[in-house]
Amino acid sequence: MDKDKRKLNLSKIIFKPIRNEKWQPITIPVVSIVISFIAAAIVILLIGKNPLQAFYNLLQGAGIMPKPAYAGYKSMLTDFLSLLNAMTPLVFASLAVAVALKAGLFNIGVSGQMLVSGFIATIIVGYSGLDAIIAKPLVLVVGFITGGLVGGLVGWLKYRFNINEVVSTIMLNYTAQYIISFFIQMYYIDPLSRQSKYVSEEARLTLVNVEMANLKMDIPLGFILAIVVAILLKFLLDRTVVGYEIKAVGANRKAAKFAGINVGKNMVLAMVISGGLAGLAGVTYYLGYYASIQPKVLSSMGFDSIAVSLLGNIHPIGIIFSSFLVSIIDQGSTYMSSQAGIRQEIASVIIGLILLFSACGAYLKHKASQLKEKNVDRKERRS
Amino acid sequence: MSDYIVEMKHITKRFPGIVANDDVSIGIKKGEIFALLGENGAGKSTLMSILSGMYEPDEGEVYIRGEKVQISSPNHAAKLNIGMVHQHFKLVPDYTITENIILGIEPMKRFAGIFPYVDIQSANRKIEELSKSFGLEVDPKKRITDLTVSMQQRVEILKVLYREAEILIFDEPTAVLTPQEIEFLLDIIEGLRQGGKTIILITHKLDEIKKVADRCAVLNKGKLIDVLDVKETSTNYMAQLMVGREVSFESAKTPAQMKDEVLKVENLTVKNEDGFEVVKDVSFSIRGGEIFAIAGVADNGQVEIADAIAGLTKVSSGKILLNEQDITDERIRKRTEAGISYIPEDRQSVGLILDFDVATNLALKQYYKEPFSRNGILNKEEFDQFGNRLIEKYDIRSGQGIQTQVRSMSGGNQQKAIIAREIELQSPLMIFVQPTRGVDIGAIENIHKMMIQERDKGKAILLVSLELDEIMDVADTIGVIYNGRLQKVASSESLTKNEVGEYMMGAKHG
Repeated sequence: MDKDKRKLNLSKIIFKPIRNEKWQPITIPVVSIVISFIAAAIVILLIGKNPLQAFYNLLQGAGIMPKPAYAGYKSMLTDFLSLLNAMTPLVFASLAVAVALKAGLFNIGVSGQMLVSGFIATIIVGYSGLDAIIAKPLVLVVGFITGGLVGGLVGWLKYRFNINEVVSTIMLNYTAQYIISFFIQMYYIDPLSRQSKYVSEEARLTLVNVEMANLKMDIPLGFILAIVVAILLKFLLDRTVVGYEIKAVGANRKAAKFAGINVGKNMVLAMVISGGLAGLAGVTYYLGYYASIQPKVLSSMGFDSIAVSLLGNIHPIGIIFSSFLVSIIDQGSTYMSSQAGIRQEIASVIIGLILLFSACGAYLKHKASQLKEKNVDRKERRS
Repeated sequence: MSDYIVEMKHITKRFPGIVANDDVSIGIKKGEIFALLGENGAGKSTLMSILSGMYEPDEGEVYIRGEKVQISSPNHAAKLNIGMVHQHFKLVPDYTITENIILGIEPMKRFAGIFPYVDIQSANRKIEELSKSFGLEVDPKKRITDLTVSMQQRVEILKVLYREAEILIFDEPTAVLTPQEIEFLLDIIEGLRQGGKTIILITHKLDEIKKVADRCAVLNKGKLIDVLDVKETSTNYMAQLMVGREVSFESAKTPAQMKDEVLKVENLTVKNEDGFEVVKDVSFSIRGGEIFAIAGVADNGQVEIADAIAGLTKVSSGKILLNEQDITDERIRKRTEAGISYIPEDRQSVGLILDFDVATNLALKQYYKEPFSRNGILNKEEFDQFGNRLIEKYDIRSGQGIQTQVRSMSGGNQQKAIIAREIELQSPLMIFVQPTRGVDIGAIENIHKMMIQERDKGKAILLVSLELDEIMDVADTIGVIYNGRLQKVASSESLTKNEVGEYMMGAKHG
């Protein structure tokens, strides 16, 4: 009996906050995250470390909390800026996944689209020696167009030949990876770093080592753009004819056709937008966070972004928050491992747990409504 | 008291915004056929979902064989020998009948005493015996994909019989069947009763109740109105109770005031995906103020004609003229704008986007135009106003007004939403394909009234229906289709129901 009561209390704590259906889009991810941190704490306890210490170190490393000591020219602000720097491409990549999902398409080729855009922007603008005022916007434009073309190709293959976008995007990932690796190794290799030669400072979307108030900081210009694009995307999806059509195609293709919506055009369009956003992710990654491309390596960000997108409820604003969270853990992990003696891989475990529990959102929702019914029953029986 | 096998006492079940069952008490005797009659959304399905363990009631008690029970899940219901034959089949298409039936309770044997395997042979035998003893006649080794709808339904019935159900609940079993199949099913149900089973029949078709049921409970808006002895009650009275008002079976129709020709179809031929001609050289025309009905047995090309006119299917030869304008090769939207409203047969997968709310669905054909949007930007207020106006005007019932997800609405109200949307387009031509399929009598009456109203406003109406009664009731002109060809076109007064039937079967040629 007592045990039963305790069990009830536990479930109350978990499910009470998510009972209100109106707030579920927010409360479910939050509860998922809390549960996953509890699970992560257990993992850290098991290896004999203090979880609170570890989480605090994560925040310190990411620039949210102050470290006890900083190296020269560094402070909490510089850490925080490098967090935003790392987060910028993740926001774009997750938005790319989200747009495709809204149209009922699964863009698993964000990584490939990032690579192609980053590469094309690198060779066209990155090595050109253009002035910053022209080079930086041009990088963005080239990135968006290149990614959009690759995405559009996927959409067109789907529409014209009914080729499943999952297959074509995965294949294009490989194609991009190896062809670009060939060109880098043949023409653009830096013999010392074994990567592509660095792009010019003028073309780079992150201002590196800017000296200000006795600090050297990296200022990610793309970050502002990422926030603006997320808001624009929300507007596009919710408030425009284009968004209405894309969502209708995604929700029910037959009904969309019946309503006179051009299904093929909208699928291609959604993939162009998705690819374009992946392109922006690519240029803020390869010409922002980094300044060169490592041959034969596909960034894992394009795949992480699928999970980040889902954690953010496929909602542009939600994605800003989920990217922020995942980036904190990513960025803070080095500091955590050096301070708390917890291996960096534990950070990956935490991210994994968050994503795992966020995928359980549907279960939480179901459980909450079930519990609600039971509570009503119990009250009535008592009275 | 104890002669009831099922007793439900003072059942109340609430959902957000609606009371689905309000203090309902019924008792069902062993070995009877008990019908539950009510409009869509009257609470029949909810009541039976409580009995089959899908929902728990908010108030009230359930007794099975005199014992108080709390049915917590469908599995629990199965243990109490309660089985439900669902309206929408839950079968695995690539499995054989036997595999589907034993799914979840597979009989196991051990090869050489060690390796477990599913004993299909004995299951096949058992199912064959079972099907013979109830006159169901299926070949257990056939795959579901190869079966007709009525055969699939038999598999569903066998599924519950195999689980030793004594109390069988049929949820709208005839909604998907042709008239002959319905006859057969009713015989099967009668056979099950003679085999000692207790049957609960959820339906809104009065003639079926009259034919097989012993007693009948009438529900209206969640409340139990009455429990009637079917033999001593007229269908008219039952209908009245169900709808809560007098029902006119004959639609009050004035003679048609025909105007100019609106639609002209010339030598239309349509091929299906396999390149097979499903519509062959069909010509007809519809004038304003006329209801032209295409009668025919299912799958004789009538839906393809409607689809071809609306632009959902390609025309392989022939011409379609709307108000003397050739629209044969126009896009769907162009046709809509040229003046076609279309109420499709499949309201859930074609007519509506179930995950969108009511307001968004009601604007589905006009969202891109002013005042719904300007320069590509949507005007949400207009969506809401329009939605509220239509909900009011067409009495569309939904839990949370315009914000209700269409998926959660009842079939009848989904249909009302589509018809509302299409009428509001004010098109000179309206196409109705099976508009009353699966909706209750009250709604059928209402839909017929709306069709006639639109006709009287001078619109041309094309009705495609499998219900001959419906066609005889509302049509001004009838075209009978058989095997892709129009056999006969004549005014409805000049044809009797029997004659139409003969043309439909291809027994008589015009």
